[in-house]
Amino acid sequence: MSGFTAFAGKEAREILRTWRIWVLPGILLLFALTSPVLARFTPEILRAAGGDQLKGLVVPTPTYHDAYAGWIKNLSPAALFALIIAYGGLVCSERKSGTAVLVLTKPLSRTAFIMAKAVVHSAFLAVLVIAGTLITWGLTAAIFGPAPGAALWSASLAWLLLGVLLIAVMTLLSVLFGSAAGAAGAGLGVYVLLLVASYLKPLGTYSPAALAAKVPSSLVAGKDVAVLWPVLTSLLLAAVLFALAAFAFRRQDL
Amino acid sequence: MTAAIRTTGLTKVYGQKPALDSVDLVVEEGSIFGFLGPNGAGKTTTLHILTGLTRPTSGSAQILGRDVAAAGNPVRAQIGFLPDVPGFYEWMTAEEFLRFAGRLFGIARPVLDERVGMLLDLAGLAEVDTKIGGYSRGMKQRLGVAQALINAPRLLLLDEPTSALDPMGRKDVLDMLMSLRGRTTVFFSTHILADVERVCDTVAILNHGRVVAQAPIDELKARYGQQKVVLEVTGGADELAEQIGRQSWAAAVSRGSNGAIDVTVTDVAAAQQQIPALIAARHLGLSRMEAGEMGLEEVFVELVGGIQP
Repeated sequence: MSGFTAFAGKEAREILRTWRIWVLPGILLLFALTSPVLARFTPEILRAAGGDQLKGLVVPTPTYHDAYAGWIKNLSPAALFALIIAYGGLVCSERKSGTAVLVLTKPLSRTAFIMAKAVVHSAFLAVLVIAGTLITWGLTAAIFGPAPGAALWSASLAWLLLGVLLIAVMTLLSVLFGSAAGAAGAGLGVYVLLLVASYLKPLGTYSPAALAAKVPSSLVAGKDVAVLWPVLTSLLLAAVLFALAAFAFRRQDL
Repeated sequence: MTAAIRTTGLTKVYGQKPALDSVDLVVEEGSIFGFLGPNGAGKTTTLHILTGLTRPTSGSAQILGRDVAAAGNPVRAQIGFLPDVPGFYEWMTAEEFLRFAGRLFGIARPVLDERVGMLLDLAGLAEVDTKIGGYSRGMKQRLGVAQALINAPRLLLLDEPTSALDPMGRKDVLDMLMSLRGRTTVFFSTHILADVERVCDTVAILNHGRVVAQAPIDELKARYGQQKVVLEVTGGADELAEQIGRQSWAAAVSRGSNGAIDVTVTDVAAAQQQIPALIAARHLGLSRMEAGEMGLEEVFVELVGGIQP
């Protein structure tokens, strides 16, 4: 257990002391700050950009719904793309740099190596999503007045689950591929497949593919959508992918 | 006494290419064992199998009496390992890395504090507070040796530990290895023969994935090495060398420094008897004649078929 704890601590400090602290947090902070502001000023922006051409266009008065929808719409796919690219080297970069050799010849099993990364990076994403949602909620309330948060939180948490699932996908791909770029490319391919699957029944209703498309946007719009099956299958798939990553990593020659 | 390392029929094949071919090794506890071989002989592959980084195609490897493949953390807790090119988290300082390595072993804080200070001194990095990303190759190598010692290992496995070091750094590492004699088993691969001659008591020579010799150094020299006779004469050395080369006991003749004649002999007694006679017959003066021992390098070259490491 000491190996797992020590390595998880290393992962956490690595996030805080390398580029990882800037990329995803920066992107999510940007979306959290700009979504409510853009929603509030969309009519003015449209009028300024369109000039006389949009004179007859009636732009509805923005509400807190638009701020929430902007936040969720920005998360998919922009933040997901950043996540996929950022996690392409999660395991293979340690193999390439030789750090994996140094730590795995100490009392740290390969399963603990993978699981420490899974736990720390999933927790990191959770902190980012919660912080981003809080900022969006607070800023929306400041701009539009008191706004109910249930739709925002349920949609954000659904997106968080999709994010954790993609971290699991990237962990496995980073084990299987020798390069971060190769893993990231394959990760983007998996995301596209999820989007395609979201249009197919029953995949689009019961599988994780639902989280990639309609579940977060439906939740944030306050529409009735079935979330239980997509959530359960996503949790199960994420666990299976992390386990597969550990299994594949155990079988590799370093 | 349990062998620190025991491999039986250890074989590793990458695709169609054999990297190790039925390697049998026994390393006694407490010894300083030199693992010699030219580049590509399979030294690093052997070390990777011993540390559990690579799985053998067939055969078995035991460390401190336990099978490497099955034992996992209990075996790793007792070894220290330095890879040929150690990779570090470049955002850490040397002290942070040593503390991290110590925590992986579950070393208690007071013990870790003491060891980190001692090992930073040993590595000459006590006054360095910059991040590892800014270190030279030699500094990284010294830190690599230090991190391999953080758990006071029973078995220290080192892959080319002195290859990136300057002469002073090399001397420090070799002195440190010698200081571990009797307390820690040291197994190190190298192609620097002088290092092996200086610190090792036993060696194995690996060539094309096969162990071609394994013995205490002196025994190896006696077993494989022919002896040398070095002589200096007052004149006519070229003709004398040519005549000696025709003798049945002379395996090879070469000209050494200051005009000396180096004769590799198969029968020392015959050479010692006949060389003065040959000199006297040519009416030459004998300035020097002494027996020389073949070095490990010559044994190595003979065993690996002239392939230089």
